[in-house]
Amino acid sequence: MLENGLRFSHSPELEFVLESYGVRVKIQASNKRLLSEAEQVAKRALVDRVQIVKAREADHTFGIFGDPDETLHLVLAGEQVSYDTLHDRFFKFFDSILRITVAEHAKDLVFIHAGVVGWKGKAIVIPANSFCGKTTLVAQLVKNGATYYSDEYAILDASGLVHAFPRDLSMRYFAGTVVERAVTVEELGGVVGSTPLPVGLVLLTEYAENAEWKPETLTRGQGMMEVIPHTIPRKYDPEFSLKVLNTAVSDAIIVKSFRGEAAEFAIKLLSFFDSITVD
Amino acid sequence: MNNSERPTARKSGLVVQEVPDEVLVYDLESNKAHCLNQSAAMIWKSCDGNNSVSEIAKLVETQAGEKITEDFVWLAIDQLSENNLLEQQVASNFQGQSRRDVIKKIGLASMVAIPVIASLVAPQSALAAASCACNNPQQCGNPPNSQCPSTINCTVLGVCAAA
Repeated sequence: MLENGLRFSHSPELEFVLESYGVRVKIQASNKRLLSEAEQVAKRALVDRVQIVKAREADHTFGIFGDPDETLHLVLAGEQVSYDTLHDRFFKFFDSILRITVAEHAKDLVFIHAGVVGWKGKAIVIPANSFCGKTTLVAQLVKNGATYYSDEYAILDASGLVHAFPRDLSMRYFAGTVVERAVTVEELGGVVGSTPLPVGLVLLTEYAENAEWKPETLTRGQGMMEVIPHTIPRKYDPEFSLKVLNTAVSDAIIVKSFRGEAAEFAIKLLSFFDSITVD
Repeated sequence: MNNSERPTARKSGLVVQEVPDEVLVYDLESNKAHCLNQSAAMIWKSCDGNNSVSEIAKLVETQAGEKITEDFVWLAIDQLSENNLLEQQVASNFQGQSRRDVIKKIGLASMVAIPVIASLVAPQSALAAASCACNNPQQCGNPPNSQCPSTINCTVLGVCAAA
């Protein structure tokens, strides 16, 4: 029974345990339809890096329960974290919070909230919050020949290499209100990267109308400081997070600047990268 | 022992990462990240609760190979205290001068980079970092004032899901 007095019934067969990036998550639901949908959303959220495992216990437990009045409730570790009457919006939020839960606790990996592309054997990592134009820039870089790694996470391993998290890009456009659409890399004429890459450039940027590209090179410490807010597991394993971040950027150049329109900027950025790197 | 003259570097609740010529400190209690330049880092490491300010100046002088004044050390201590990187807050000791005046004075005379601490606050949670939060659900889907322009991402509670 939850704090607000709602009661949910849950049968043992209405649950499954998944494992993703070393994290075990149990998903429970009040009926088969919701359970099935949760499984589909989970696989999509975690770009199919998901295994359904035969286990009773998990590190984290989500519950998805429907009211008689069709309100959906999302519970995490026994506490309600969201409720909604809009089905799509509810599962969109579940998608987010599931991803973040895995990213916070992934084993031997550090997830950075960032867009990533590959260019000439190196990764260009663009840490940024949501709604700051990260996906738009990544899409333009891919259209200009960069290899797609992610519009959401740079996944760093202990050696500091970046692994792909190649979900479909969440492109947004304005049509009275903001509309979101999943775009495949193929639609952009791009390819998905599979080889882990060393970091060549960390770009701290956000879109500003008529902004001029004036890259300021940061020291390693300053750059790492700016990346920390985007480092997902920083509260759960801060020592490992900082150690891996330090390794990852040890040979990288870190720059900061506002940027203008993505289409024009993407070309400038790739030229800039070519000019500062030595083969 | 006058604590204000023998400062102690804080250790608990901090994660420290040494990088070339700098020290990165992540404060788990305040969610703040700090970048200490080489001068600030040398002084912070010398704050062991036993060294007086003049002794710290001598220690840093030995390491830096250049003359270091007590004002130089106080500049660092002032910033360390302000950023809660000392065990106890320390009142600045610039004898009536502003920090800016002290920086000007030191900057002109010093061959060593003046101590600087840059700081940044990280969001409380990863969900907060990855999404946005409107003050109320009515703000969802109403650009340009909305912090969360998408009705798809914004829950009834006014929290925007990550992209």
